[in-house]
Amino acid sequence: MSNEHYLIASYFLVALVSLCLGVLAYRALRAPFAAIADLVAGRTGSTILKRALAASMTMAAVVGFLSVSYTQRGCMKYEQVVKSRDYLVQVNREQLQGTGNWIVYAVFAWCVVILICLLVLRKKETEHSDQAS
Amino acid sequence: MSPQTIAFLASLIVVTGLLVTVDRLLRPSLRELLGSVTGLPAATEFYLRAFALVIIFVAVAAVIGAGHTDLKADARFMEYVWSVASGLQEVFQNLLIVLLVYVGFMTVLLAALRRR
Repeated sequence: MSNEHYLIASYFLVALVSLCLGVLAYRALRAPFAAIADLVAGRTGSTILKRALAASMTMAAVVGFLSVSYTQRGCMKYEQVVKSRDYLVQVNREQLQGTGNWIVYAVFAWCVVILICLLVLRKKETEHSDQAS
Repeated sequence: MSPQTIAFLASLIVVTGLLVTVDRLLRPSLRELLGSVTGLPAATEFYLRAFALVIIFVAVAAVIGAGHTDLKADARFMEYVWSVASGLQEVFQNLLIVLLVYVGFMTVLLAALRRR
């Protein structure tokens, strides 16, 4: 396999793997997130939140993948890129690393969202108990 | 099998052991803490899954990122050890940062949700 063929095949393969990692992260968090979203936002609001979780996880994975440049932001020519197989493998590694890191950032961001949801729930509980007494 | 693949697999085995240990050490007390603070099983489950995801992704990303390009075909045993150790340095560093962020977040969670 020539380096150019390797570049094409690996680019799309790593893109697919990155996307799958984003979907995997979403599926891991979906069930508990849906339960909290249903409690806080009702049916309509929770649908928006669940879709936002799906979109943000997959987008984070794609952003991590796309954040790596083969040409070092235009500093290298195409011929230089395809000259070395080692360089191509290294870029693939960086793409997967970027994907992992961005998914971590997204998970932390959703942890904050859940904290806000819990605060809203706590406030509702307090209001209910105040009205009851 | 190339020297880079051997070093990568060795790093992956070490990191898997490390992740299992960290998870086993922290999960029971984390579950108990989250259960008492949030009072909502779904929230406890969410934060536990988030914790597992975060440590797995950050550690595996660091392992993948370590290229082990310093290893040549005729590398000796200790050169493998040094290369794996060099890769593990980034794993430990990233894992430490993530754990500190998570602990910080748990502190905020405790302060915000503590029942008055």
